[in-house]
Amino acid sequence: MAIMTDTVEEPSAPPALKATAPKAGGSFARYLVTRFLLIFPTIFILVTLVFFLMRVTGDPITAALGGRLTPDQLAERIAAAGYDRPVIVQYFEYLGQIFTGNFGRTISDNRAVTEVLTTYGAATAELAFNSLVIALLIGIPFGLMAAKLRDRWPDAILRVFAILCYATPVFFAGLLLKLIFGVWLGWLPIAGRAGINAELELTSLQNPTGIYLLDALRSGNMEAASDVIQHAILPAVALGLLTAGVFLRLVRTNVIGTLGRDYVEAGRSRGVSEYRLLTKHAYRPALIPIITVMGLQIALLLGGAVLTETTFEWKGLGFMLAQYLTARDFVAVQGIVVLLAVIVAVTNFIVDIIAALIDPRVRF
Amino acid sequence: MTRKKNGLRLAAAVVGISALALTACTSPAETPNASGGSDAPAAGSTITVGTTDKVTSLDPAGSYDNGSFMVMNQIYPFLLNSKPGSAEPENDMAESAEFTTPTDYTVKLKAGLKWANGTDLDSKDVKASFDRQVKIADPNGPSSLLGNLESVEAPDATTVVFKLKSGNDQTWPQVLTSPVGPIVDDELFPADKVLADDAIIAGKPFAGQYTIESYAKNSLISFKTFDGYQGLLGKPANAASNIKYYADSNNLKLDVQQGNIDVAWRSLSPTDVEDLSKDSKVKVHKGAGGELRYIVFNFNIMPHGVKTEDADPKKSQAVRQAAANLLDRQAIATKVYKDTYIPAYSFVPAGFTGAIEPLKEMYGENGGPSEAKAKAVLEAAGVSTPVELKLQYNPDHYGPSSGDEYAMVKSQLEAGGLFKVDLQSTEWVTYQKSRVTDYPAYQLGWFPDYSDADNFLTPFFAKDNFLGNGYDNAEVDKLINEQRVETDRAKRTALIEEIQTKVAGDLSTLPILQGAQVAVAGADVTGVETTLDASFKFRLGVLAK
Amino acid sequence: MSTTTTSIGAKKPLADRLPIISHLRMSAGLQRGMLVAGLVLSLIFILAAALAPLIAPFDFAQITDAEGDFPTQAAPGGKFIWGTTVGGFDVFSRTLWGAQTALLVIVMAVVCSIFLGVFLGLVSGYIGGWLDRVLVVVADAIYAFPSLLLAIVMSIVISQGQSSLWGGIMAAAISITVVFIPQYFRVIRAETVRLKAEPFVESAKVVGASTWRIMFKHVFRNATRTLPLIFTLNASEALLTLAGLGFLGFGIEPTKAAEWGYDLNRALSDATSGIWWTGVFPGVAIVLTVLGLTLVGESMNDLGDPRLRMRRKKKRTSGKGAA
Repeated sequence: MAIMTDTVEEPSAPPALKATAPKAGGSFARYLVTRFLLIFPTIFILVTLVFFLMRVTGDPITAALGGRLTPDQLAERIAAAGYDRPVIVQYFEYLGQIFTGNFGRTISDNRAVTEVLTTYGAATAELAFNSLVIALLIGIPFGLMAAKLRDRWPDAILRVFAILCYATPVFFAGLLLKLIFGVWLGWLPIAGRAGINAELELTSLQNPTGIYLLDALRSGNMEAASDVIQHAILPAVALGLLTAGVFLRLVRTNVIGTLGRDYVEAGRSRGVSEYRLLTKHAYRPALIPIITVMGLQIALLLGGAVLTETTFEWKGLGFMLAQYLTARDFVAVQGIVVLLAVIVAVTNFIVDIIAALIDPRVRF
Repeated sequence: MTRKKNGLRLAAAVVGISALALTACTSPAETPNASGGSDAPAAGSTITVGTTDKVTSLDPAGSYDNGSFMVMNQIYPFLLNSKPGSAEPENDMAESAEFTTPTDYTVKLKAGLKWANGTDLDSKDVKASFDRQVKIADPNGPSSLLGNLESVEAPDATTVVFKLKSGNDQTWPQVLTSPVGPIVDDELFPADKVLADDAIIAGKPFAGQYTIESYAKNSLISFKTFDGYQGLLGKPANAASNIKYYADSNNLKLDVQQGNIDVAWRSLSPTDVEDLSKDSKVKVHKGAGGELRYIVFNFNIMPHGVKTEDADPKKSQAVRQAAANLLDRQAIATKVYKDTYIPAYSFVPAGFTGAIEPLKEMYGENGGPSEAKAKAVLEAAGVSTPVELKLQYNPDHYGPSSGDEYAMVKSQLEAGGLFKVDLQSTEWVTYQKSRVTDYPAYQLGWFPDYSDADNFLTPFFAKDNFLGNGYDNAEVDKLINEQRVETDRAKRTALIEEIQTKVAGDLSTLPILQGAQVAVAGADVTGVETTLDASFKFRLGVLAK
Repeated sequence: MSTTTTSIGAKKPLADRLPIISHLRMSAGLQRGMLVAGLVLSLIFILAAALAPLIAPFDFAQITDAEGDFPTQAAPGGKFIWGTTVGGFDVFSRTLWGAQTALLVIVMAVVCSIFLGVFLGLVSGYIGGWLDRVLVVVADAIYAFPSLLLAIVMSIVISQGQSSLWGGIMAAAISITVVFIPQYFRVIRAETVRLKAEPFVESAKVVGASTWRIMFKHVFRNATRTLPLIFTLNASEALLTLAGLGFLGFGIEPTKAAEWGYDLNRALSDATSGIWWTGVFPGVAIVLTVLGLTLVGESMNDLGDPRLRMRRKKKRTSGKGAA
């Protein structure tokens, strides 16, 4: 899906679209408002989907105590919790709660959902940010290099590298990274977000942000900060490489696209250096579609975080989501999905607005 | 095989005794903490334990799982508890505890008990603790263990009287040590709902060996010795402890191997344990465990079951007995579990009072399989072979090796062509919903609530048991009820033995394996064996390095 | 699919109409090298899948033979050329059989999603209006859901947790389908919206062709031109999703079929205990299969995109000129 995205979103894909929807072709402001309002049905659909799907997969009480109680006792407890009522009643009750901002308490570990979201959301944000940095650091320079040296052997190597990044499942890459850097070389810690001492220190902070690196820097404890950085490397590399492969290809394709444009040719004929042509003339215009797709990548990063977080014990939203899913903890799963839905919907909104600013044809 | 199991039991006993002596020595040797214990613990005296268990809730009314109970055992007081190395209930907060009438179990509390937050720990707390369990009856809670409790009375500040429904309940002292037994502070815990963990941490309602210093749920807990603890377990051998939580046993293994944590406790994969046993930096400790893995037969829909077309109780019994004859438990224990499990030849695991091994004599040969016997049983009952058996197991609740275990069971049953097994696996929640109605034979596991043989009998073989498999033997039911109230220990043991022999003939369930408790610790960590006892309570207090 | 490709250019010779062969002809140099490498890897994968019953020395769930029980975690060599797993399965046999499972799931998942996704995309894009908007919003919403989690939930819902061979394969395939439909939908819808404004559609309208006829004769033919490409790219995605499901324990029961993700999960403890062979083979099998499929897909994409294909020739000539 990651690779497909950039194929689909290539800027020059629809050559002539002038007649798309003449009567709807309103002003940009109108598009902005319509597009903004579309965020809400998106979230609503996801919430509904998740609500009903979760009810079909079973209830948290059977998940927790199925192996210990008689069927009658189980049914009694399920009734006591209200899960035997018609699903539609439960659904409207849930909608009502959400509208009042009440996300409830998780069933399997009795915590406020909002607390779960803030605590683990920070961890996921940290991981996503770190891996985005790695993806950009690898993806952009190598993508430029591949575009410059296209169809020569470094290009082929880089492209195969990009595909390998994408072709290796995160759990396999994670395992290899852990074995090499954690076990054989012993350079880096294998799992978790911090060592025990650093974690004790960070959990005892006043008003922590939950982003360990920030917290460690703020507390001025350099030992904790270096510990946190060491823990962050392997998960960020595992997830970052996955995305770097996509970025590399994306930069390459788009820069090649602009390198061939008339104004670049014109620059070349004027004697502008190839390096300058690449970094200024070709790269800058290519940036816009790249940024657009990178925005979409945020949604994918959140998805990829599930396996990465599970592999490296990185206790973030993806990790917890998998745990709560196993426990059939509807309340928790719904809460996390609502948050993810909001993030993704808002990101898509911003991306679409940027796209519309660049290319007025996409408005409808 | 006999040698092996007895060896394990013996080792646990010997280690238990020597370790008791050890703790007795170390306790007075520790310098008393004159300053009140607020200063940082000396280097090397903090122990970190890693686990893949999870905490559901720190409120005893809101959880009924190993992970939560393990933490509660460190921080809450119990009326009765057992010393490391033993499973016998002794006085913890209680000064005395006994049946004053057949239905009155009276407990006298020690005087002057305090919670870590400074308030008094008295009979009101005890009454409130049990009352709220019954009142809240949380879906995730252990209130079902209080089925025999009528009411609790607190006539004075140090006296508690439990009024029981049926008299002389021999399991009652054990119930007080079970997940329903922790005493909580009635001034902090509401009577009608489960208290959130954060509120518990803030309110410091601790009166066990430890208090909690910092708490990141299912991530890291740090404990500090509670000086006000006056109970059975004494002063911890360490000044502070941590529990670090893992989701992936592989990460747990790597961390203990690299010395990032001191002890790995529940649950390492068999391959991990085998690999760690070759590593000189760590030591693998094993103790007899209470976990039992078994196959349940549904008497209604198994081959020739009551509700099948060719119903015949004799034939269906022959099918079960043939299966029992074909199992090679030792092969499963060794090949799949690398001896982290041992063969189980009874419904009550070895190590519990009254446990015998009837299945060993009755089926197979010397504990191993016997095709000839299986064939004879089926022929005698006139069962046509191969018997087609649908066998279900669950891949996500009883550990990832279940798949290998049941692949082997399938292959053992099919050896000699007597059975044709259709093996299926189903995810846990669906599994639990379908097992009673749809599965002719299926896998289950059991971890005892408390350390008494009855916990392996009443829930399984009494009328209306939790298996719901249609097994109903009036004689067995009567014997089970008798042993529960038999005050003479020798007589009770004889009854328990008789029940096992009777059920071994019926084979309502077919036990396969008994779990060992496995903890892997750094070579410099002491005290681990001590706590791997038949109470199945892992105590941080015995660990030191 | 075959109707699609043949209908694109009925005038051209057969070799140019078949997607892969025409691409091969078009390619040159490194690009051809990458396409050929991808084709070879994919071919090996398909051959392994097809011939698994013949090549594999043992059944995927076999743990005993006439000579007795298989050893567990035996090192590669002798009877078990890639060793055995913790459960006593032969790694070589399971890796081969795993290709079969993977191929079945890929084909079923991609075919299902193509049919549904293409149909919905066509209808939505051509008819437009409120139907279009609703479908777009729904597709976007599903697309926004982390795909692996959606697949997990779907696999629980569909199979009810049961793990028979076809149940498992269908569950995996349908779960993947649900994740993919929005993507096919997006692509086809975008193409349809574009084509709707093309002169040939206008002229068909003028001639008086019915809406459905225009949609399925004229627009469909042209909108589905990119499908072989999407097929290859999504095939690799399907395989990764299947492996993810298996890895997280929502896959197929190991005695019903061999599945690489499951085997990899079971090999985690092995890997850190120095038993490398149980994890490396299924892991490398996944990587190489995805690599092969993606190389084919990307090469087709590049060859199909004039900017990426044409410029190369132009550049070569200009390079020559400069030299």
